[in-house]
Amino acid sequence: MRGSYVLRRLGVAGATIVAIVLFNFVLFRLMPGSPERILLRGIPNVSAERVEAIRDRWGLNDPVLPIVIDDAGVRFAADNQFFKYVTATAQGDFGLSFVARGQEVRDVLGQHLWPTLLLFGLGEVVAIILGLALGAYSGWRRGGPIDYIGNGVSLFLYATPYFLLGMMLLLVGAAIGLPTFGMLTAGASYPNIFARLGDLSAHLFLPLATVSLGLVGQYAIVMRSSIVETLSEDYVTTARAMGLRDGRILRAHALPNALLPTVSLIAINLGYVIAGAVTVEVVYNWPGLGTLTVEALSARDYPVLQGVFLLLSITVVLANLGADLVYGLLDPRVRT
Amino acid sequence: MGAGPRIRRPSRWRALGGFLRRYARRRDGMLGAAILVFFGAIALVPDLLVGPLETVVTATGARLAPPTAGFPLGTDHVGRDVLNLTVHGARVSMIIGLLATVITVFIGAVVGVVSGFVGGRVDGILMRITDFFLVLPTFVLALILTPIIQDLVGSSSREILGIRMTLVVIIIVIGITSWSSTARIIRGQTLSLRERAFVDRARVIGAGPGHIMVTHILPNVLNLIVANAVLVFAGAVLTETTLSFVGLGDPFQPSWGQLLDAARKNGAPGLLAWWDFVPPGLCIVLVVFAFTLVGGALDDLLNPRRRARS
Repeated sequence: MRGSYVLRRLGVAGATIVAIVLFNFVLFRLMPGSPERILLRGIPNVSAERVEAIRDRWGLNDPVLPIVIDDAGVRFAADNQFFKYVTATAQGDFGLSFVARGQEVRDVLGQHLWPTLLLFGLGEVVAIILGLALGAYSGWRRGGPIDYIGNGVSLFLYATPYFLLGMMLLLVGAAIGLPTFGMLTAGASYPNIFARLGDLSAHLFLPLATVSLGLVGQYAIVMRSSIVETLSEDYVTTARAMGLRDGRILRAHALPNALLPTVSLIAINLGYVIAGAVTVEVVYNWPGLGTLTVEALSARDYPVLQGVFLLLSITVVLANLGADLVYGLLDPRVRT
Repeated sequence: MGAGPRIRRPSRWRALGGFLRRYARRRDGMLGAAILVFFGAIALVPDLLVGPLETVVTATGARLAPPTAGFPLGTDHVGRDVLNLTVHGARVSMIIGLLATVITVFIGAVVGVVSGFVGGRVDGILMRITDFFLVLPTFVLALILTPIIQDLVGSSSREILGIRMTLVVIIIVIGITSWSSTARIIRGQTLSLRERAFVDRARVIGAGPGHIMVTHILPNVLNLIVANAVLVFAGAVLTETTLSFVGLGDPFQPSWGQLLDAARKNGAPGLLAWWDFVPPGLCIVLVVFAFTLVGGALDDLLNPRRRARS
């Protein structure tokens, strides 16, 4: 039972990743214009020989697919663009960025990954703690003032795009003099590491508040309905009949079971978190993957966009896989 | 017609009347509907309310001036009236949302009905594709598809039905990336309808699968399609707003998201120019909020599973 559940999940995730990689290959070969034009961008009077040399060097004269159908019939071509693409992608080689002066896309992504992980890792942690606490409390005291206000605010936040929330907070932050641009003060030199960390935290405050506020509503809503449902279960009634105190029923019986649905929510949310990441970072010029994506979009830096697409979509698939496996571990009923 | 006892079926109109009466008792649903009617009316006749869309050339105000009597919502960075832009933005945002919803629901309904009714290998293949779109972060996909297709169709100033090509691309991209959950829901309902007696009866008297799907299955999943379309609409408005905000919109036909993008690029929040982005922002929040309310109320009233529970 357990083995087959794990195997099936792994199979689905693997197939999805293969599909993503294939999709990426096809998608970027649909693009208009020819790659050599982009490679020779800005160079005037290019001779036909030069174009041919470039096409040869970048493998553009090789067949696209391993199977070639031409006048001579169907044959197999070992030197083809598809195999080269798959091998390079498997080695984490996404090519060179157009805009970042021919830097490797892998390195460009790496530089922008840490700010994003810092901002959204912390944001998730704050949102999960606050959201679960708020949801558990309002579900426990259903119909109370906290429940009423919390529900309204959660619904409203749910309808607000992250970047709009960011622009509002930026307005407030700018009015009271908080830093609103980038990760560190431009051109500042720090006497020690603590001064540097202090500056970083000051810059982190507004984006972090935006991300946490944007996420907290969903966790609160799910946790609340989960607690309400759990409290109507027979074992809670039994616990009450046994004369256990409220606090003990909540901690020992209701909370552990109510936490289950939120586990999968965290993973499912990751896709939305990424959409949020793109826009919140732009609002504050936070130098992460989101800002990088928007810069690449406006410059049509396709190698970078391709890298971002692969990185983000594969991360989401793996997160979903992780959630499925953890869920199977926690709840024996789904292991079928 | 035989001479047997005639069974009186409640007419469609009477059923609709009963449904509207039940809907009218939902306070949240009515609030949402009122907000949507308000914005729908604005989107229909923006020219009557605030005159033609102001452009950089026809701008009349000072740059980034706070609200005054002449400009109740102030002006933007080139002196355009923010009220004028916001009202016209309603039209752009609502039309994109509407058309994207039509495409999404159409693909979702076709895939769902065919997959559920035909079954077998067709079902298997269609559901694998659906799963792929369900697992994939569709926003990231839209983010990558939009510029590619925009480059494919070229940056000409062509229009289709008065909508500029950039926006047509956004409509199509939202449509083809967000149908998967609709397909899942419709398929589930089709699976249970397929086993009903009236479908068997139609098959026995020789109706083909196409005929059964259109005349027997489709009318019976219409409830679900309507309830789902409302939620899809909310998602489409949000996706369009976000795509426009990252610079994929069209400055010549500004939607609310495009206005927010322009406000951010010109540093309105940092300059404390709240009037430049709060009005379009508030409109987005209100519309999405209203769609969520209406969608929730419709889901409670129309979804057979929920109806049974309550």
